[in-house]
Amino acid sequence: MSLFIEANQLKKRYGQKQAVNGLSLEIRRGEVLAMIGPNGAGKSTTLDLLLGLRRPDEGSVRYWCAEPRQHIGVQLQSTPFFSGFTARENMAMFAAFYGVRLSRRQINDLLTRCGLQDAGKTPAERLSGGQQKRLAIAIAMAHEPQLLFLDEPTAALDPRARREVRELVTSLAKAGTSVVFTSHDMEEVHKLATRVIMICGGAIIAEGMPDRLLKQYQAGDLEELYIRLSGE
Amino acid sequence: MFTIFKTMLLGIVRDAHTLFWTILFPVAMLCGLGLYFDDPGYAERLLAGVLAMNVLFGATMVTAFNVMAQRNRGVYKLLRATPFSTAAFIAAMTGARTVLALTVSVCILVTAVLLFGVSLSLAGLAGILLALFLGSICFTAIGFFAANLSRDESNVNMISNLISFPMLFASEAFYSLHNAPVWVKTAAQAQPFHYFVKALNLAVTDGRFSGELWTALAMLTGFAALFLAAAAFTFRWDTERASRGRALYRTSQRHSPM
Repeated sequence: MSLFIEANQLKKRYGQKQAVNGLSLEIRRGEVLAMIGPNGAGKSTTLDLLLGLRRPDEGSVRYWCAEPRQHIGVQLQSTPFFSGFTARENMAMFAAFYGVRLSRRQINDLLTRCGLQDAGKTPAERLSGGQQKRLAIAIAMAHEPQLLFLDEPTAALDPRARREVRELVTSLAKAGTSVVFTSHDMEEVHKLATRVIMICGGAIIAEGMPDRLLKQYQAGDLEELYIRLSGE
Repeated sequence: MFTIFKTMLLGIVRDAHTLFWTILFPVAMLCGLGLYFDDPGYAERLLAGVLAMNVLFGATMVTAFNVMAQRNRGVYKLLRATPFSTAAFIAAMTGARTVLALTVSVCILVTAVLLFGVSLSLAGLAGILLALFLGSICFTAIGFFAANLSRDESNVNMISNLISFPMLFASEAFYSLHNAPVWVKTAAQAQPFHYFVKALNLAVTDGRFSGELWTALAMLTGFAALFLAAAAFTFRWDTERASRGRALYRTSQRHSPM
């Protein structure tokens, strides 16, 4: 099976606001899928629906296996951690939620891979914003998932950290991990994504490989396309 | 499960605020009141009262605040994306809290024995530990329940106070209800803290497993089961009311394979 997730006609409403409106999409094996769109477009709600964190009002989500959570890694926008625990303890704890017992060496390797080699003993809430973001990504990778969801992984990062995260995503994709990420940085999306989905008003308004999208809409770059299609 | 339990226990022990309220405060209270009243008969009641109150506030209030804070930070939302079950998470947190309560209680017991000459038989000690074990589970579950009913910090404070204080006042933790109005006595019997205090009092004073002690322990077990079920049933993953669903979805309902 070449699909990880297949979502059909998803709808989700919060009070008067229709956050997701009849959205259908597929997540394929081996791809790096970028979900872009303005704030409030429904990206995070779509991620929540795909992850089973919320129930759709209508529509369905189908997965490639019976217990997909075991094989999916998640980094949320809010980078939540258990307060009072060090970066290392948070990693061990979240890995244990997936039934994985990490050795000290494995934790150190993961932290090093995410540029956090000196932060292992620091309480997670005392890390800088960029470090917290990287710790959240390290935690998402702890159980070696087949599919990784990253919600704005480079937001609030300095240029160096941004580059490190991009390199990390590229290396994960090369190693066979599928990645779904959201971002407002169109240059980053163009560099990383093999496929782009643009969401606006809770529905997909454009979809395809970055270069094909540019050709199809005769746009100079993704930012121009984004502004044109989203009406921003 | 063990890693989660161990890390949670470490987190509790490392928290200075928790340590103060759950260890130093009850020991200081026992010493202060014990020295002030200076009555061997009252020392036994005081010991049972301090043990019970410590579990009530330590388990209910601290758990309620922790659960609320973790939920507001989004920890549970991330936890929900993992295959770990709600029931197992509640069990791990309750287990860590129970171990802490038992450890603190041993400190209080040792203080009472050394400072006020309270004598305890082996059966009495076993009864105390069993009551503390069941009480910790019950009141930690009540803490979860209080947090599940709350939306923010001020809310959780009010709700946990609304639950804890009536239970404390309608109990025989520090005074007798012998002359209290009938409705107070009746209300007292409808809440778990009454049976918790009763079990501790009986274990301390009688020093044996009497039928009355078994009945109190059985009632406490019943309340613990009731509130554990209520905690799991009302558990909320995030702060938004829109998503306040039942936590214990069946996996097959949430994830339909292709």
